[in-house]
Amino acid sequence: MSSSIKEFQSKEKPEGYYKKLVNGLSEVNKQLGAFLNINETIKDGFPFSVKDNLCVRDVETKAGSEILSGYIPPFNATCVERLSSSKFSFLGKTSMDEFGFGSFGLNTMCVAKNPFNTAYVAGGSSSGAAVATSILKYHVALAESTGGSISNPAAFCGVVGFTPTYGAISRYGLVDYANSLDKIGIMARSSEDIRTVFDIVKGPDSYDSTCVGIKFTNVNNKKIFLIKQLLDATDEKVRSEFDKLVSKIREMGYSVEEKSLEFIEKAIPAYYIISMAEASTNLAKYNGYKYGFKNENFSEEYNRFFTESRSKFGVEAKRRVVLGTFVRSASVKEKYYRKALKVRSLLIREIGKLLKNGFILTPTMPITTPKIEKAVSLTPVEAYRMDILTIPPSICGFPHVSFPYSYPNGMPLGAQIISDHFNDYALLDFVKSWETSFRYKFKYNIGDIR
Amino acid sequence: MKIGLEVHVALPTDSKLFCSCKAYSEEPNSSICPICMGLPGSKPMLNEKALMLGVSIAKALGCKVPEKISFSRKVYFYPDLPKSYQITQVDAPVGHSGTLEADGVSIGIRRIQLEEDPAKIIREEEYTLLDFNRSGVPLVEIVTEPDIKSEAILRAFLTELKSILYYLGVDINKEFKADLNISVAEQRVEIKNITGTKNIIDAAKYEIERQNKLVSANQKVPSETRSYNEAKMITVPSREKESDEEYGFIYDPDLSEYSTASIKAKKAVFASRIAKEYASKYKANAQTLAELVLFNRDALEMIERWKEKYEMKALIGSIELLEKYGIMDINERAMARLLDMVSKGSYPDKETLMKIYGGEEVEAKQIDIKLIDKEISEYIKRNPRIVEEYRKNPKAINFMVGEITKKYKVHPRIISERLNLIFAGK
Ligand SMILES: [Zn+2]
Repeated sequence: MSSSIKEFQSKEKPEGYYKKLVNGLSEVNKQLGAFLNINETIKDGFPFSVKDNLCVRDVETKAGSEILSGYIPPFNATCVERLSSSKFSFLGKTSMDEFGFGSFGLNTMCVAKNPFNTAYVAGGSSSGAAVATSILKYHVALAESTGGSISNPAAFCGVVGFTPTYGAISRYGLVDYANSLDKIGIMARSSEDIRTVFDIVKGPDSYDSTCVGIKFTNVNNKKIFLIKQLLDATDEKVRSEFDKLVSKIREMGYSVEEKSLEFIEKAIPAYYIISMAEASTNLAKYNGYKYGFKNENFSEEYNRFFTESRSKFGVEAKRRVVLGTFVRSASVKEKYYRKALKVRSLLIREIGKLLKNGFILTPTMPITTPKIEKAVSLTPVEAYRMDILTIPPSICGFPHVSFPYSYPNGMPLGAQIISDHFNDYALLDFVKSWETSFRYKFKYNIGDIR
Repeated sequence: MKIGLEVHVALPTDSKLFCSCKAYSEEPNSSICPICMGLPGSKPMLNEKALMLGVSIAKALGCKVPEKISFSRKVYFYPDLPKSYQITQVDAPVGHSGTLEADGVSIGIRRIQLEEDPAKIIREEEYTLLDFNRSGVPLVEIVTEPDIKSEAILRAFLTELKSILYYLGVDINKEFKADLNISVAEQRVEIKNITGTKNIIDAAKYEIERQNKLVSANQKVPSETRSYNEAKMITVPSREKESDEEYGFIYDPDLSEYSTASIKAKKAVFASRIAKEYASKYKANAQTLAELVLFNRDALEMIERWKEKYEMKALIGSIELLEKYGIMDINERAMARLLDMVSKGSYPDKETLMKIYGGEEVEAKQIDIKLIDKEISEYIKRNPRIVEEYRKNPKAINFMVGEITKKYKVHPRIISERLNLIFAGK
């Protein structure tokens, strides 16, 4: 699959192209709920969408939360700024789980639905970004992942989802979930488009001190590792499809080896402890008097005022504030927060050793796309376990790409390829070579130019 | 008795600790941005100058400076805190385990940390206003061990600390705040948020006395947090604040670790140590010399420049004179003339001094001490009660000293010296 960006730029746009694009998208969006708002003034450039937790100047930015309704940032996120000044045009904000807290895009007012079948989830938390990518012919999505929020919906919606190395793209302008884990990434219909956007948005930023200027490598040892514990956590249907993918990859000239990493299962509790601890501090600022939802009861005593304002959080956000506040309390901090940090260091070291010699390949999700009604009925812990395959690279900050590889029963399946820190381009090259023999399928091509 | 201190001082940087807003501005809420207002999406960026100053203070106070320092989030809810957490330092602060000598006593410095100031709360009767200009101003917190054993040592410690900070460029008249821990008996009482040196000492004085009374009445001193009422000059119990349990410190993941290896710290100047050394080396009054140089870098510079060339006593007298009239840039020749006059016991008035400063030749007359003594004796004859008054209050002679100074243009200290001799009956 070639670059749709180059194709778009080379094509003559018919009269009223952008108006038709906006109208067509608005129509489909009514059923799919991908966009929270659509920029009707778009008139040139290659369209890009922005996940709702990234600031766009003068456009309401809510991170999927009621408590931020009415927050109009006076500045652009660095990635938005860089893209806007490179012949790309802002198309709209995409829906997401509140603050990124969710795996199915259901923890929010505007639920995005799977474009292949609206009875199914779109995944989460970058649900809208994945749906937008799946329905728009010429478009790229700026998304964000903390524990798999790009891979997951990319897999369920059948698009390519790239989560770069932690620190490769500036987080300035991102409404934080868990700052040491948050990564801004890109969704597109091809690895080529992702590369084009990545080249523009990556690199040091004087507004984010964790965004560093380390040189990228491009190492491919033609070696793939499969992780026993992760395959064991995958359901049978996914497993049999994934086995077929592994055979194809062998045919591409890769040697494949299965490894056992017992501690890898500790990634889930460590991830949830760190992410909730950080999230509970990030969410402390939402107290109803400076931006977003405003509590007018200024005569109330402070604690009551804050409590009242913060009742606007959704159920999952409240759960994470409570749990996150608990795990960092002085008396249990050693047992939870600090131990989780140690587990993260251990995971980075041990998984890193493997990645020095090759890629790790896993299914992106352990299950096939669930129906919305099924996902709603999961308990929080069952839902957290759905992230078992996306959390290991996420907690370590390793770059990973989810790409479509099969369509059993007409629904897409995604696999996830993982590499070492700053070896991002090797992953994009890998997916590019996959794309030479595999054609992705889409149900919509809004904005197509004939 | 044990006294420990936590001192907060604002650092003299152009911009705030984590953003490029001006650190000090008058017009309320004129120096604010998404970062110091805590707007969603903004991230802090460390002000390297503040880090350098923090490290300089740590080094001046003999602290160990970790190779890598980090920042933490201290979470609590209060209207003056835009993010509902304060960025401060917990695990790897800019300095720890130092000492400071005050009046021959070694006071342990537990830790020194950088942190951001919250916004300013302005309470009016009917409403409360918030000024976010102060939000994000760089502060340094200096925490001592409870090594201070008396009010005198507390005073000496504060003077010494302020002098060191002064020479590092810190404006010690700005935001000098402290929390005091005082335990006369077993129990520790904390007095929070006292502003200014005078109030810190007054609060300590009151609290020591209060605890002493309780102890001598065989009563227990409850361990509690109190606050200082400046108007009434008393301490009163205050609302308990959150404990470490509730603050729930975590690393601030927006700020990476910072290496201190390449930081060029400002060189510390220990003015009191210099004063002591020179006083004994050049035969001068240590107290007078210390008072002259503790908070005056120009004076110290002049002492350094001319200490070998001129007699120290005359040098001190001359610099005091210059300081009185705000002259700090006198040239070598004029200084030589001034010193000549002063060493002869003369005390030039402003007019004469300006002439000297302007490069004019002024005749230096030797003061006749006998004349001065005669004048004093006559004054006492006219006002016999002055001797008794002077014993009660040494300031009682100020008028007489002023009169004689004016008449003979002689240094007031010479008159004081003669007076002391005469009063002592010598
Ligand atoms: Zn600012």
